[in-house]
Order: sequence, then structure tokens, then C-alpha cells
Amino acid sequence: MKIKIIFFSISLLLLILLLLYPQQEVVLSIKEGMPKIPVAIPKFIIHNSSPKISAAAEELHQILLVDLEYTRVFQPLPKSYYNYIRPINPRKIFFKDWESIQAKILFVGEISANEGENILFEGKIYDVKGGRFIFGKRYQAETTLLRLVAHKMADEIMKIFGEKTIFTSKIVFISNRDGNDELYMMDYDGHNQTRLTFNKVIDYMPAWSAEGKEIAYTSYRKNRASLYILNPYEGKITEILSKGTNFAPAFSPDGKKLAFCSTVDKGNSEIYVATSEGKKIKRLTFNKAIDTAPSWSPTSREIAFTSDRGGTPQIYIMDAEGSNVRRISFGGSYHDAPSWSPAGDRIAYVSRVDQIHDLYVINLRTKQIIKLTESNARNESPCWSPDGRHLVFSSNLTGTIQICTIDYNGANMRRLTSMGENKLPDWSR
Amino acid sequence: MKKTLIFSLVCILAFSFFLSCRKKVEEAPPPPPQVKEQPKVEKVEKPPVVKEPELTEEEIFMAKSLEEINKEAPLNMIHFDYDKYFIRDDAKPVLEKNANWLNKFKSVKILIEGHCDERGTEEYNLALGEKRSKSTLDYLVSLGISQDRIEIISYGKSQPLDPGHNEIAWQKNRRSNFMIIVK
Repeated sequence: MKIKIIFFSISLLLLILLLLYPQQEVVLSIKEGMPKIPVAIPKFIIHNSSPKISAAAEELHQILLVDLEYTRVFQPLPKSYYNYIRPINPRKIFFKDWESIQAKILFVGEISANEGENILFEGKIYDVKGGRFIFGKRYQAETTLLRLVAHKMADEIMKIFGEKTIFTSKIVFISNRDGNDELYMMDYDGHNQTRLTFNKVIDYMPAWSAEGKEIAYTSYRKNRASLYILNPYEGKITEILSKGTNFAPAFSPDGKKLAFCSTVDKGNSEIYVATSEGKKIKRLTFNKAIDTAPSWSPTSREIAFTSDRGGTPQIYIMDAEGSNVRRISFGGSYHDAPSWSPAGDRIAYVSRVDQIHDLYVINLRTKQIIKLTESNARNESPCWSPDGRHLVFSSNLTGTIQICTIDYNGANMRRLTSMGENKLPDWSR
Repeated sequence: MKKTLIFSLVCILAFSFFLSCRKKVEEAPPPPPQVKEQPKVEKVEKPPVVKEPELTEEEIFMAKSLEEINKEAPLNMIHFDYDKYFIRDDAKPVLEKNANWLNKFKSVKILIEGHCDERGTEEYNLALGEKRSKSTLDYLVSLGISQDRIEIISYGKSQPLDPGHNEIAWQKNRRSNFMIIVK
């Protein structure tokens, strides 16, 4: 009995110590090196066929294939494999057929015309080896919303496998395509580029709120660079700070706080934190050097940022209260724009060497650094996708500044924008 | 008789002589009018025109709109070294000239805009631009300009003067601009 009590109090003490001791936040790690899951997505079965429904089926199939390919988790089977086996019969699935072409997961889609202009889409997922039904989902939608239907389906598949969803997430960014710098947003794949602000002034450095409903950003009005919060779905703009130059907003992932930079004290950029409504402003950094570019850890307990307190801009981490500052970037003379990965184990940032800006990722546990981009260009403003497998950033590789995405290991770079110049992307969580 | 005849003859002769003489006198032309005798011509001068009193420099200035004034750019911009925000020696005389102008027009308030070239990250450049406008402000204050007349802002690298991607463009873009916001 006595031993039990001693054991209990020691473990309690250890637990308290553990909680008190400031440590690097590591929530969960990306399952790297895991082989991709081969998934079979045969052509969707069409009921009450019409040219419109057939076209819709084809489009949905195509988008879903691209989505699943993009996950880096699934590997859709090559098209030719489907010729080796019998066509799919949703009433009686021969799992041995699908096993023979090495599918682990089978996706069966059925589409039919529904009332009016709508379609009805049903997707079912099967475990091929176990020969069992895992999950199903039905969507009814207008044919103009096929992309969204496919993305929702892809998100559901991600969820089943314990992944964070990315296909219905949005990327907010700055574009000058309509004359001056304004806020825009788009899907993860660059589709549905939508203008959000309509004014004659410069809008700058947008950041999504934790829920993805609001956007904090800087707007140059009345000879000031003030912080605003935009609700794009209500068309509502609220000014939250107007004195000095205020920029680089970042909402904490728990949705409670907003970190940002302000030059209100003697023209020197310092990091401040407020409630997510911009109230109760508290200063976190106190020195004569530049402190900028705050990025929250996924637990909202730490903030990565840039400071030139050591002579050159470098990446540092501090606790959310401003204490326990430590430098994490070394071996270069210009590091900026940290972005903390959703799993908490990595930080992406920009390093400038001989006027070339490339993206790097540091693993906070192993201190290992990998170079993400390798180009004679300016790659900037990295931001992780919600699932931590991709990053969005801006690059002037093509001559003009455009938004691109890249996988966490530097593979699969693709450009999402082409009209005007586009920069400062932020990916909703 | 003979005497009478001679007398009458003489008379006739004398008369005719008289006549002829008289005729001669009558025929003499009147003296021509003398030109020299004309009156002097008076030149009529234009009457004095009412003249507007000349405007002072300040009155000319106040008559212009802020837009017009800023278009004329009475205050010259200054430039900075790469990644730096200290006031260069070549910028000091420019700021002295600007301070003189500000001393002349005491009601003017200005906005100093700090800018950077494209070779830096967005976040750091925005902070750097603010440092540039602040050091410009500090220098003007050291020259006796009241701090209440100056506001500062940073545009980072979002507003390049020269869209080029070379050293000439970069040099132009690393700058502090002056905007007149109150006259």
C-alpha cells in the first residue's frame, strides 16, 4: 500500500515537472517512408444515362483521381490494369479480381440524375483483402458543383485513414491582377480563384483564422498600415489596430489568440499578441532589433519568429508568453518567414544566399535540415497544408511572382496562378 | 497842243507803267506756309494698369492642392545601402535641403515612406522599411524639425519605383520617400 502511494506521488511529481519544463512541441509525426496505398477507382457506374450525367461522371472521376494522387498517401492504379479484370459490378464485387491487380482499396462510384438539374453521387470504399465494405457517402448537388463533390469525397477518404483533410481547404493570397494588391482565395489546386477585397489601396499579408472563417490582413489606408479582420462570407471588415505599421498576423491554432507585428514603439517591429478579436494587446518581444514573422506551434504554446538581434535575421522560438527564447537557424546569414508544421516537428523557412531565396525545412527533433527548392529564383512565404504533406509558397521562377505548391520532400512542384503577380499565400487549417 | 499830247502820252505811259508795275506786285505769290512752325506731337501713354500685388511663396504654395504639391515633389527622396537603414553621407545634404524647405512651410506635415528592394523576404523587408523611415525621421528631428510634423510608414518591397531586377533598379528602390499630408 505504502509503495503504491510513493509510486503514485513520484509519478505525479514527474508529470508536474514534465508539464512545467518547456519542451519542443511534438504532436504527431508524418508517416514518412510508408508505401503508398494502391487504390482502384474504376469508372463510375451511370444509372439513367444521359450525355450530361456521363460528362459529370467523367469529370468527378477525373477530379477524384487527381485528388487521391495528390495525397501522397494513396496511389491510384494505372489505367491499363483495369483491362485485365472483369468490369465492376456494384451488386456483386469479385474481390479476388481487384486483389489480382494489387489494389488494397477499392472505390466504387455510382451516379444518377436527381430532381431537376441535380445529380446523385454515391461513393463506397472497400477493403480488398478483407473483402468488406468500409465506408460510404452520398452527395446530391448541381452539376456546377462537381469539383466540390469530388473534393468532399476525397476528404472523407482521408478522414477514414486518420489524415487531416486538405481538399476543401482554401488558400488566401495577394494578387495585383485587377490593378492593385487585393486579397483572393482559391482551392488547393488553384481552381475557383475568387476576389475578396475591392478597394484602391494595398492589402497585404493575409492569414486565416483557426476555423477558416475569417482572414486577418494589413491594409494601407489613411497613411497607415492597419490590421483588419475580414469575414469573406459576410463581406464584413473590422479594423483592429491602426497606430504604426501593423503586419504579419497569425491566429493561434486553438483560435484564442492573434499574434502580429507592430512598429508602434519607435518604428521598431516587435511581436505582440492579442485575443482573436484584437483586444487586450500584450507585447512579447523587447529589444532594439527587428522581431517579425510570428508562426504558432500547433499546440498554441510556442511561437517561431524572425529576429536580427544577433546581427542577421535568424529564426527563433519563444514561449507564447515571450519567455524562453532560443535560436534554431544556423549556418546562414539571412533566414526569415518561419512556418510551423501542423504536426509540430518541423519548421519551414526561407534562406537567402547570394540573392537567391530557397525554402528549407528543419526537423526540430533531429536538427536535420532539408532544402526544399533548388532554383535560381526567389522562393518565399512558405505555409504548410493542413495535413503537413505539402507547402504553398510564392516563386518568381517563371519571371513573375506566382503561387506554387510543393511536397514536404521537395517533389512535385506545381504552379497554381498565372494572372498578374501573386504572393503571400496562407493555407487554411 | 503838242504839250498836252506829250503830257497825256507821258500820263498814259506812266499809267501803263503803273499798271504793269501794279500787276507785277499783284502777281507775287504769298509766302509758303512754314513747316517748322507745326505744334509738337504729344505721345499718349497708356494709362497705368491696376497691378495685382505679387503672391508670396507661401500663398502660391497654399493655393495648390496636396496632389499638385506631391506631384512637384518639393522634398527629395534619399537612398540606402543593401540591408541597411543608416543615413548615408550622400543623403545628409538632401535631408538638410528638405529640412530647410520644411522650415519655410511650417504648417506642412509629412509622411515618410520606407521602401526596400526585392532582395529580401516580405516580413523582414516590411520591418526594415520602417527602420529606414524612422532613421530618416530621426535625422530630420536632429535638424530641428518637430517630430509632431512627421509620420512614418513602411511599404516593404511592395512598391518598387523601378520594376527592374538589377542593381540599378535595386538602388533606386531602397529609399525613403516624402509625401506631404497636411499643408
